[in-house]
Amino acid sequence: MPVPWEALIPFGLVTAMFGAAGTLLGISKRAQNQGKPPRYHIDPWDETMMERDKRLTGHIRGQTSTPAAPEEFATNSEWYTEQTR
Amino acid sequence: MSSRYHDPSESAQPYRDPTPLPDNVPKVQELGATSAPLKSAAFFLGAYCKDYSEDFMLCKAENRDPEHCLKEGRRVTRCAIDLITKMRDSCASEFEQHWQCLEKHNQEYYPCRKPERTLNQCMFEKFGLVKTIPGTLEGKTPIHEVRNPVFTTIQK
Repeated sequence: MPVPWEALIPFGLVTAMFGAAGTLLGISKRAQNQGKPPRYHIDPWDETMMERDKRLTGHIRGQTSTPAAPEEFATNSEWYTEQTR
Repeated sequence: MSSRYHDPSESAQPYRDPTPLPDNVPKVQELGATSAPLKSAAFFLGAYCKDYSEDFMLCKAENRDPEHCLKEGRRVTRCAIDLITKMRDSCASEFEQHWQCLEKHNQEYYPCRKPERTLNQCMFEKFGLVKTIPGTLEGKTPIHEVRNPVFTTIQK
């Protein structure tokens, strides 16, 4: 008796759709994080360090190992705009 | 004219600090390394800048006011800049590889033991700095020296 290959089409479709969704989500996440996997389990320390990275490089995932900070670093902190009293 | 929005990035004058530090506070160059290189160099910063860090911590323990510990803070910053400069001069490729590996793994140490070993070797040869984890029990090998750890990454 021949193999009922039409019945396996839905399995193939579901697998392909799962794969496509996962791949697209992964690509979207990597694109948001400059090609690197996203950060997880971020605690307040990591949040403040990522804010500092944004002040130094322009993006929360941007990294640089230059010893001296650029001129803007002295004055580009959000504390300058946080005084609301 | 006053109702139009003026984007600060298009202004002709450079940004003027509205609340600058007083002139009697010496200026210090701030550290430009971001989180991953700092995490890579963390234990070496601890070993190299131990005296200045301890001074700063003891000063802060006396009084949490920021103005009280500016001098010790400047010393810590200068020591950190000095070490990062030296690391980039001598162990540039090992340093770069280690912090790039950290960036790919959520800035955790356990997936990056191999680059870490080469970096520790280079730092020991060039500067005599050793990574020691404070609080390891006597007789127990520190986790960064265990050859086959139980907890590793799932892939690779």
